[in-house]
Formats: sequence, structure tokens, C-alpha cells
Amino acid sequence: MKLTSMIPLAISSGLTQALLFGVVNGCIYILLATGLNLIFGVMKLVNFAHGELLMVGAFVAYQATTIAGLNPYFSILVSMASVALIGIALEKFAFRRVRGTEKLNEIFISLGLIYVFENLATLLWVENYSIQIPSPLVGLSIPLGDVQLSYDRILSIVIVIIILVGLVLLTKKTKIGLAMRATSQKSDAAMLMGININKVYTFTFAVGAALAGAAGALYGIILNFNPTIGALPTIKAFAIIILGGLGSIPGAVIGGLLYGIAENVTGYLSNGTWQNAVAFALLIVVLVIRPTGLFGEKGE
Amino acid sequence: MDFKAIWSQLIKYFRLRKYQYVIVAFVFVAVLPLFVGSEYLVGHVFTLMVIFALYASSWNLLAYSGQGSLGHAAFLGIGGFVSALISIRLGVPPVLGLFLGGLVSAGIGFLVGLACVRLKAWFLAMVTFGFSVIIVTIFSQYDEIFGGMMGFATPSFVPQGLAFYYGTLAIVASSIIAIFWVMNSKWGLAFKAIRENETEAKMIGINTAKYRLLAFVISTFFAGLAGGLFAESQLFIQNDIFSAENSFLPLIMAVIGGLGTIEGPIIGSIVIVSIDSFAPLAYPFLQPLNPLFPGVTNVGPSLTFVGLGLFLILVVIFLPKGITSLLPKLYTYLREGETKNKQKDTDKVMEK
Repeated sequence: MKLTSMIPLAISSGLTQALLFGVVNGCIYILLATGLNLIFGVMKLVNFAHGELLMVGAFVAYQATTIAGLNPYFSILVSMASVALIGIALEKFAFRRVRGTEKLNEIFISLGLIYVFENLATLLWVENYSIQIPSPLVGLSIPLGDVQLSYDRILSIVIVIIILVGLVLLTKKTKIGLAMRATSQKSDAAMLMGININKVYTFTFAVGAALAGAAGALYGIILNFNPTIGALPTIKAFAIIILGGLGSIPGAVIGGLLYGIAENVTGYLSNGTWQNAVAFALLIVVLVIRPTGLFGEKGE
Repeated sequence: MDFKAIWSQLIKYFRLRKYQYVIVAFVFVAVLPLFVGSEYLVGHVFTLMVIFALYASSWNLLAYSGQGSLGHAAFLGIGGFVSALISIRLGVPPVLGLFLGGLVSAGIGFLVGLACVRLKAWFLAMVTFGFSVIIVTIFSQYDEIFGGMMGFATPSFVPQGLAFYYGTLAIVASSIIAIFWVMNSKWGLAFKAIRENETEAKMIGINTAKYRLLAFVISTFFAGLAGGLFAESQLFIQNDIFSAENSFLPLIMAVIGGLGTIEGPIIGSIVIVSIDSFAPLAYPFLQPLNPLFPGVTNVGPSLTFVGLGLFLILVVIFLPKGITSLLPKLYTYLREGETKNKQKDTDKVMEK
């Protein structure tokens, strides 16, 4: 066979692989971005330390799997619960203290939290610096055309869909969801209607943190992780929110998929070097042309 | 304003007690290294304090106009690389290279600022952070120019040691005076108006885009200048200069010292560089804690950073105006002490 006829085939199968992996990574980013978006929408709070919650979630799931011997997919629940508790503490003892003061203060608090989380995690980490949650399904995969997609990745997509459906039901069908939506529209008026704003804020932050915890557990199942993985996903989640528009879950889904695919395809085409840079360049271009994001209606 | 008027203005300032303290502080900073024998203290700790004071001040000026950057290390690095490369490759005197590095940094800052003019607080923070990621990616592509992971040696505009300290101090002091002048000029007033309320600033006829851009250019110029000095003080430069930590440090310094004040970043720089330099002395005492933490062999560095993060959070919550806000209290305390002493003297006289 002539070499020239093989190259396009190789590129196309690699490209499909990159596309599929992009979708899976995008799903994890969607979870993170949705949590961030929820917190921002209801509380108008920017938490730059959101990705640290992802890292903590991954670490908790790892410990639950290796020490307690849980199934990694069950340990997602453990990680969601514990990260939600951490979230409640953060909201009560840090972010509530600066609510209503200058907007930059929240960024400063979350920067402090990044330092605390990253280094506490380094202190408490296990011996191997880069770790992965051992999954019982490892090595099993489905052939899709000429590429392989592992069971773990497929299951992650399913889990993300389940969580997102649960989130939509929570915000649209329950009383606390109604309170959250009311607060996000106008907190003063919601307060006058007898909604306990503080409770709503704490609940919202806990839900957002739980989403980050789930994202972390899935991240740990699919990819290697270490104490410093938190910073970049935060920024990526912000990028997705900006791409998808503030406060919309469908926007975050589209933005997350777009971002994941763009990142993986550029990474594939440039052997990984331009992966982060091109994705950010894309983001900057979008922001410069449309300061409110691709699908955003009004900016904050 | 003619020379005489400026001179009389200066004299007027110097008569104020506040400025006398500033002069005392400056003389202290200028004389101290002469009495400190340690080469490490002068060459690394003090010099670094002075350089980071300028870097944090440049960040502070940007925040003064309501724009928070999370990617200032990009400009620090551009200033450092450009000034070193210009001096090495083109044979430009290093002292000129420093300013050329600052100018290139300001030029790129102009372009980034142009992209950011319409963006609000966190979008801006995002874009600047993204820009620093892009810059480090570009710089690590061309190893033959930028030295790759190993970096390359930088020239010094004056010999290292005491001379370098004084040279740096001269450049930084005049730069900070320039920043002070900008903050108190008509431009500074416009920056402040934009920070408080951009819509209202626009309404009263301030060209907000122009002034935001101006703040960006001035800030990135000084960040680039600080970068050049930083690269020279370290004797070499590598891609590490673009690290996120270098982006966060000026912010932490400005916030801990006191955001929006001229002395805040300077005090913040002194505090943070001191913590960074002297914390290792405490590491041996932390050794007993090692068995508690399986992740590391030496708990010191990580615990220091945990402490730094907590310190930042506590300052933001309990001392929102930074350490600087304690200074007026100290000042009045000192003055009260003085008047009390005078009172005692007069009492004594009366008794007699």
C-alpha cells in the first residue's frame, strides 16, 4: 500500500478519537461549569477556587475507593456529599463575610482558598504524586468504527446526563428550586416574599460544590490527577460559562462540548503543545467580539 | 508650572509630618544595607522586596482603575525576556534594555487592554489569565531564542550586590513616585471614577475606554520594568517567570498591604518577601509534624503556603483596607504619646 493513502486514514481515526475524548472531557467541564454557573446565577458570586473542589472530590473518591474499598461509581456519591459539606463551610465562614462589599474581594478570598486547598492536599496526598482511581471496568472498551471508547468514558457521559437531569428537576420542580430562581432574579424581592436568602445561598453553594465533587470523581476515574489540577479547569469552566452565556444550563452544555472538542482537537493537531493556548485564544476572540458570550443575553 | 512653583510645592509637602515619615522611611531603606553585613540579605531579600514593591504597585495601579488582572506575570516575563535579549543580542546597555523591555511590555499591554476595554471584573480576570497561558505557550515553542526549560543568563546593569541594590532602589523609587503622581493627577481621578461606577463616569464625560487603556499601558510598562529588574537580580531567566504564582503575588501583596493606596503594595511586598525568605528558618521546628502528613517529606513549604492563603482570607475579611489602614492609628498613637509627653512637661513646669 502506498504511504500517501495511509496518512489521511490515520489522521481521520486520530481525529475521531480526539473528538470523542473531547466530548467526554467536555462532559466533566459541563458539570463544573454548571455548578459555577448556578452559584454565579443565584449568588452573583465568582468562586475562582471552584476547581479546587474538583480536586478535593477526586481525592475523596480515590480514598473512598482504595481505603474503604467502595466501587468507584458509588464513591462519586461519597465525594459529592463531602464536597458539599466543604462548600457549606466555605459559604458560611468565608464568602458570606464579604457579601455586599467590593466584587474584587470574592476573587481575593478564592485566591486564598486556592493556596489553602492546593497545599493542604499536597500535605495529605498519597505516596504516588499522580494517581488515578482504579476502576473495575479498566481495559474494557467498545469499538466505534476504527476507534475505541472505554466503558468508563461512556459511563461518565451517562452519569453527567443523569446529574444534569436531576439538577433541572431540582430547579424547576421543587420548592427550594423555586426559591433559588426567585433569588437569582431579584434577591431583595425574594427576601420580601419570605424566602430565607441565607438558606438559599448556602443550599446553592452546596449544590454547586456537589457538582464539582462529582466532576472530580469522574475526572479521577478517566484521567491522572495531582494536587495542582484544580486551577486550569476553573478557568476552563469560566470559559464555558462565557461561551454558553451566564445562567443557562443548555448554554453550558453546548459551551462545554464545544470547548472540550476544540481543546482536544487542537491538542491532537499540535501534539498537545497548543491545547490550552488555542482554547484560550478562542475564548478571548469570542469575548472581544461579544462581551456577553455566544449565547448570553445580558452581561453582568 | 515653573521650577520655583514646583520647589515651593515640594517644600510645602516636606513640612507636612506625613512626608517627613516618608523621608525617614526612605533614608532607613537606603542606609540599612550598609549596616547589614549579610550578602544574602541585601542581594536577595532586600533587592527582591524593592523589585516586588514596583511590581505590586503596577498591579495596584491597574486595580485603581477598577481592572483586576490575574495574568500580570505575562508582562513581568515579557519585560524580563525582552530586556535581557535586547542587551545580549543587540548589545544595548542593560540599563536601556530595562526600559525598552518595559516599553515592549506596555505595547503588548496596549493590545491586551484594547481587547479588554469592554469587559467587566471577572471576564477581565479570565482574559488576562488566559493571555498569560498563551504567552507561556508561545515562549516555550522557541527554545533557541528563549532558552527553553534551562533559560539563559542575564546581564546586570550594575554589578550585583550593594550596587545592584542601590541601582534598583533608584529606578523603583522614581517609578513609584511616578505612579504616585499618576494616581493623584487628573488621570488618577478618572481611574477612580471608573472604578466606582463606570456608567456614571461615562455620563459626566470621561472617555472611559481611553482611561482604562491608559491604566493598562502604564501598569504594564512598570510591570515590564520590574520584570527586567527581576530577571537581572536572579542572574538568569526561564519560562518559570510566567507561573501563575507570579501572577497572584502582586495581587496578594497589594491586598494585604492595602488596595488602592501608594504605600500598600510596598508594605505588602515587605511582608510577603519576608515570609518567603524567613519561613525556611522555621522548617526545622516543624519537623515533628512530618508523620502527620504522608504527602510530603518536608512539611515546611506547604504549611507556609497554607498559612499565606489563610492570612490573605483573614485580611480580606477582617482588615479589608489592608495593613496600611493600621498606620494612621499608629500615627495618631505616636502623636498622642508626644502630646502627652508635652503635657507632662508642662505639668512639671507648673508644679515647679
